[in-house]
Amino acid sequence: MKDYCNQTPKVRQAFSSKLSLPYTMTRRDFLAVTGSAVMASSLWPLGQAWGADSDIAPAGNIGELNATGAGGIDLYLERRNLLIGGRSGRAIAINGSIPGPVIRMTEGKEALIRVHNLLPESTSIHWHGILLPFTMDGVPGISFPGISSGETFTYRFPVRQNGTYWYHSHTGLQEQLGHYGQLVVAPAGPDPVAYDVAHSIVLSDWTFEDPQRVLWKLKTMEGYYNFQRPTLANIQDQMQATGMTLKEVVDKRLAWDRMRMDPTDIADITGATYSYLINGQTAQENPVFTARPGQRVRLRFANASTMTFYDIRIPGLPMTVVQADGQNIQPVETDELRIAVAETYDVVVTIPDTQSSDWAYTLFAETMDRSGYARATIAPRPGMAAAVPGLRRRPMLTMADMGMMMDKDMDMKHNGHMGTKNKKDDMDMQHHMPDHGGKRRKLPTQNLPNRIRHGSAEHGPASITMARTAYRRLDYPGAGLGNDGWRVLTYSQLRALERPYGRRAPTREFDLHLTGNMHKYIWGFDGKKWSESCMIRFQYKERLRINMINDTMMSHPIHLHGMWMDLYAGGSLDDNPRKHTVIVQPAELLTVDIFADAPGQWAFHCHLLYHMEAGMFRTVAVVKDLKGGPIHAKV
Amino acid sequence: MPRYKHCLFAMAIAVIMQAGLGFAQEKKEMPVTSDRPGHQESAREHHGSLPFDIQTPPLPEGMSLDDVLDHAANPPPDYFPTTIHDDRVYVFTLFEKLEYRIADDDDTPDHMGWEAQGWVGRDFNKFWWKHEGEAVFDGSDKGETETDLLYSRLVTPFWNFQMGVQYANEWNTDDYEDRWSGVIGFQGLAPYKFELDNALYVSEDGDVTFACEAEYDLRITQRIVLQPLAELHVAAQDISERDMGAGITDVNLDLRLRYEIKREFAPYIGIRYRFLVGETADIAEEAGADTTHVYFMAGIRFAF
Repeated sequence: MKDYCNQTPKVRQAFSSKLSLPYTMTRRDFLAVTGSAVMASSLWPLGQAWGADSDIAPAGNIGELNATGAGGIDLYLERRNLLIGGRSGRAIAINGSIPGPVIRMTEGKEALIRVHNLLPESTSIHWHGILLPFTMDGVPGISFPGISSGETFTYRFPVRQNGTYWYHSHTGLQEQLGHYGQLVVAPAGPDPVAYDVAHSIVLSDWTFEDPQRVLWKLKTMEGYYNFQRPTLANIQDQMQATGMTLKEVVDKRLAWDRMRMDPTDIADITGATYSYLINGQTAQENPVFTARPGQRVRLRFANASTMTFYDIRIPGLPMTVVQADGQNIQPVETDELRIAVAETYDVVVTIPDTQSSDWAYTLFAETMDRSGYARATIAPRPGMAAAVPGLRRRPMLTMADMGMMMDKDMDMKHNGHMGTKNKKDDMDMQHHMPDHGGKRRKLPTQNLPNRIRHGSAEHGPASITMARTAYRRLDYPGAGLGNDGWRVLTYSQLRALERPYGRRAPTREFDLHLTGNMHKYIWGFDGKKWSESCMIRFQYKERLRINMINDTMMSHPIHLHGMWMDLYAGGSLDDNPRKHTVIVQPAELLTVDIFADAPGQWAFHCHLLYHMEAGMFRTVAVVKDLKGGPIHAKV
Repeated sequence: MPRYKHCLFAMAIAVIMQAGLGFAQEKKEMPVTSDRPGHQESAREHHGSLPFDIQTPPLPEGMSLDDVLDHAANPPPDYFPTTIHDDRVYVFTLFEKLEYRIADDDDTPDHMGWEAQGWVGRDFNKFWWKHEGEAVFDGSDKGETETDLLYSRLVTPFWNFQMGVQYANEWNTDDYEDRWSGVIGFQGLAPYKFELDNALYVSEDGDVTFACEAEYDLRITQRIVLQPLAELHVAAQDISERDMGAGITDVNLDLRLRYEIKREFAPYIGIRYRFLVGETADIAEEAGADTTHVYFMAGIRFAF
């Protein structure tokens, strides 16, 4: 395959000169200027002494910077001891804190960000979900060479969108050490979302272990962090929780054992090592977001975790979801939402009118595997708290997660949600359309196949293909959700607020299998790791469809850089939501359409950090045409 | 079997499967992934571009659209770092058993026993070593070890194919013997989560033996694990200098109960029932030795 992929690098020389760094500084230069620069950009809310390692500051001291304001902003990356949950941890701090400052931008202006690398190693910042020139995308090895130790890299790009996003390192496992923050882009025009006060909420996971050590454990000892496995001691518990008899429980467990699978393998890394954080603070530290009765409070959630899906709810307050991945959606009221790693959601909650000053609401963010939670409080003043719910029972994977769904259920779902009202549109899609290269058929945009059978190909030793059938799960809220008597957001409820630009039926499609060997911790697409892969080529300006088929038993948040993925959410072409990150659940067939309007090379990967580092990653090349041969991803 | 019989057999299977699937399927035909294009096939079939205008694409400063598209059609420049380190070398060492064995009879001396394995390598290809042995420390100096040095390749998701050499030695106060063997084996996880290690040995004298070890982790709580283990040896021929007769030679049945203080550090206690079988047992009996032994063990299991 290697030969197949290799091509003569024609423009390397021409290009390399264009990628030289704008300017460099020595470390000594830095130390001379940082003090004043930092204070000048007013990013220390409490004006703390910087660089003084002796007195350890707590994490979560987040500042705010305006990157489209005059003069731009400076970000300083350094290794620093911070108190996380009261314990000292060696973090990568951005301007002295984890998370880094909330970076604000205004749509239509130019962002200017100087990143100063005070780390002893190379680093990078990726602006997650932002459309920009590929050289500004911040992926070492794809967009640029990275930012070497002691260097400064200047990011400069026009801001062409608005909404809530985030940023993070794209170098190695640095993200695990706190190298992330929220990014909020104000709309150029009026905001369709009405609110009185807004709060930035960065969810993350923290470990005091060395991330490389964590990866080594995952690679060498399966289930290392799972302390909720099936045991003899919890048979009784499982019988009570599920209403099954002893024989049924034993049979079920034997069925999983026969497949060499663990139904409790919901999260690779758990509360056994993680502290779960909201804005750098643990549940015990209880960060408080203030509001007044009657106010509409906009909560901007970004999940900056490396491995943790959170289930968010505010007992007593329904949430109106107004934005998903920075894109306005038709408002949906719900009681709970699952936010995957790298997704962002904006919700608005209205504080009920009251004369009392003693009200408080708990913002409860439970991890998907129920091994822990992050928590904050919405209240009129700091120091307040409300009752904290207990953790629910950890979910177990079901036969449906292996693609063994009853046909009865399938038909009901089909009739109930897809309907047949769009038969005519569907017919229209069958029309042929002439093109340069011959007849091209526009692909249907509604009533897509509900399921797909896996062929006999097994994708080799790097893949344990569990699901023999993959099917649409847009209505399925996910493992462990939907049985509590309250509403849970699903992808089928996401509808774009306005018809986004460039919507049309795609003319090309391909299948992409999400594959992995959880036993050996090898992850990839179509059974190949990144280092073994060729780039996925998009043709510039084409409308392209990718059918993602999850062969594994885990949910993967799949992220495309540089371009939107228009999620087929069961609705019409006009209102499918735009996403930068989509959850593909076990045994799910999930379809996205992409408008390939961003020339260059981009990253496309599972945003679970350790899956990514284990190979679940592709380079996407948006090229002029597809006549040339495949391009190998690795030099 | 003649070819047509294969065909008939395959057709029969196909008919049965079709019938079965017929029930399971909707009226609409379900697509099958094997008939559909992956990204490379899809790119090959696609020609021409769509003639519609789009908003000004975001281009890097100083680069034209053609510059960018040309760049995109090539592998990354040499001076770019590797984006994803998904092909690293990892090192793993597991001391499964490091234990003191106390025999329930007075004739057999108490001794140390150990069994370890480890590997160095990437996801698919590894250097894999295994080492086990036992030694008596009080009284007579006596012991034996076996060391396997193997190339290991992950051939299916759960199975490694292994090939290499074994060095085995045995010593007594006034005697030392050793031998080299060639090894070929399969090690992996069988359905129902049995860890299996099967290996075939051909010694330098041409003696063929086979070893099979199966173990299972029965979790009592999240940290307490009961591990039954069965180990069986077979000789393909009589090997008089090793006191072995053709057929099954000896069997170990172990039960260990460990407490995982950490996943990689667990003290345990255990019991072993060991017996010689067939001709090997006869040879031992003739020499006046016991053919069955019971041991009580205490030790630690650790990994790094």
